[in-house]
Amino acid sequence: MRASQLMRSARTEPEVGFRTDAASPGPLALLREGLGDIASRRPLIRWLVEADMKKRGSDTALGNLWWVMDPLLQMVVYVIFVTIITSRKIPEYPLFIFAAILPWKWFNAAVIDATKSLLEADRLIKRIQFPKIVLPLAATTAGVIGFAFGLIPLAGIMLFYPDRISPLVLLIPVIALVQFVFTVAIALLVAAGNVFFRDLGNVAGHVLRLWWYLSPGLYSLAVLDQSGVFAHHKVLRFLVGANPFAILLEAYRSVIYGSTDGPPHLPDFASLGVLLVASLAFVGFATIVFKRLEPSFAKVL
Amino acid sequence: MTTQPATTESVAVPPPFERARPEDYAMLAEDVGVEYDLRFNRKTPIRQSLSAALTRKPPERFWALRHVSLRLEHGESLAVIGPNGAGKSTLLQVLGGIIRPSEGRVHARGRVSGLLTLDVGFDRQLTGRENTRLGCAFLGLENRVTRELMPSIIEYAELGDFIDAPLKTYSSGMRARLGFAIATSVDPDILLLDEVLATGDANFREKSKQRVLELVEAAKGVVLVTHDMQWVLEYCNRAILIENGTMIMEGDPESVVELHRERTAEARARAQERALAAGADERTLLVR
Repeated sequence: MRASQLMRSARTEPEVGFRTDAASPGPLALLREGLGDIASRRPLIRWLVEADMKKRGSDTALGNLWWVMDPLLQMVVYVIFVTIITSRKIPEYPLFIFAAILPWKWFNAAVIDATKSLLEADRLIKRIQFPKIVLPLAATTAGVIGFAFGLIPLAGIMLFYPDRISPLVLLIPVIALVQFVFTVAIALLVAAGNVFFRDLGNVAGHVLRLWWYLSPGLYSLAVLDQSGVFAHHKVLRFLVGANPFAILLEAYRSVIYGSTDGPPHLPDFASLGVLLVASLAFVGFATIVFKRLEPSFAKVL
Repeated sequence: MTTQPATTESVAVPPPFERARPEDYAMLAEDVGVEYDLRFNRKTPIRQSLSAALTRKPPERFWALRHVSLRLEHGESLAVIGPNGAGKSTLLQVLGGIIRPSEGRVHARGRVSGLLTLDVGFDRQLTGRENTRLGCAFLGLENRVTRELMPSIIEYAELGDFIDAPLKTYSSGMRARLGFAIATSVDPDILLLDEVLATGDANFREKSKQRVLELVEAAKGVVLVTHDMQWVLEYCNRAILIENGTMIMEGDPESVVELHRERTAEARARAQERALAAGADERTLLVR
């Protein structure tokens, strides 16, 4: 039994308490422990998410209305700029772009919040023994709720484009699930990394911006194919397509928007499936890394 | 702080463990050492951390605690005393399972609650009730238990209707009372206290003293870090003295406090001599 199991319920185990020693357990034990931490501390994650929600809305005049306004305003900015600088016209561009802004904003916020999650709880980490994994996880989960709120303006925009409305939007939660798993893995790694290298927080913002422009958010993969950039660079085309957010954003777009000349269609389930499996493995790896570094957090912070 | 703990100065060597009556202890620490790697410290910028990692420079290490063994019996109140920076708080962190020891082992039997500072984890924007819920969840209480405990926590903290006001409207005394109420609400088997008895007004001090004494009497172990020698002499039945990360002495409070006072006086005298020898003005030494 290890320190992380310290606060287990007294009713289920004959002996409460913990043992710690200098030796670190193996990867599989760490993974099991990490999953156990999450399972046993679900209420804590819930309170953390709730507190986060409340704080976000509490000090602005419009409060939680900003969750609806934020993606809308961002969409307006992109629509204005992209229409000005490109001659290529994508029909019903606001919806086209909004389908990508919404999931990306979630990912972006989750990663940024996760990098800060452990540092902001430094006093707590140094004073109380609890599974630190709940902190980045709560940051990621809070993002899901922001995403859910973003579906309200999405519904509003879709009313302007009745041709694009289809029952396929019911697949959004399925795609969101894949994104959630992938996001958790990234969140765990950046949260743990930022404890040791504080500059990671600054780097993350720039990497995320670059990632956004390299992902088919403002454009579609089909546009790139037409432009001939990839005609002679098959490897490049593969890399662009293998970007998890190329798969995710294209999938969201296919169910919300469809294609430039057609109504919504089924997403590429094969790619989504591969991404899900890869993300699950990635989460396992990230959990092991996180648990491995966890005992050092209190020392370094 | 020195990098080499003064092992030779040990006055009393703690007895080896797990020999006599291994079943009786509440907490056992065996040959515990905590080593800090200064390359990855908050104060070390990334440039140095990276270059140190790349050039494989020998790690700068520092033992905050070394060769510390202790055994806490049920119902015991153990005081940890020593000068600032001796490693007292690090010891409490190891005993609380917050830091994994770099060497040695810790075994706690029963629920350990650290009460290392009072307003830890409090969020100023949230209400007292929300903070209580969050605090209890951090301590590992189930929601059901937290709901049951809520009225008694509010009552103990003397908050009344303030419980639903944001914490930023609280006075420091109110925050301290709430923190203490939450930390002791988990009904710990072993309570770790770090200089908490000095906070709050006289009334609260008296109250918290009562609560700690209750916990001690209820056959729970208490480990207390304090500079309040009066408390040590009055309420603790054992004390250990830590200096430079090593245990200097373990024994009854009277003799340990006595030794601590002697050594503090000696250290002060030595420092004064050194300063005078180095040509310091005698007037500046008066403040020490």
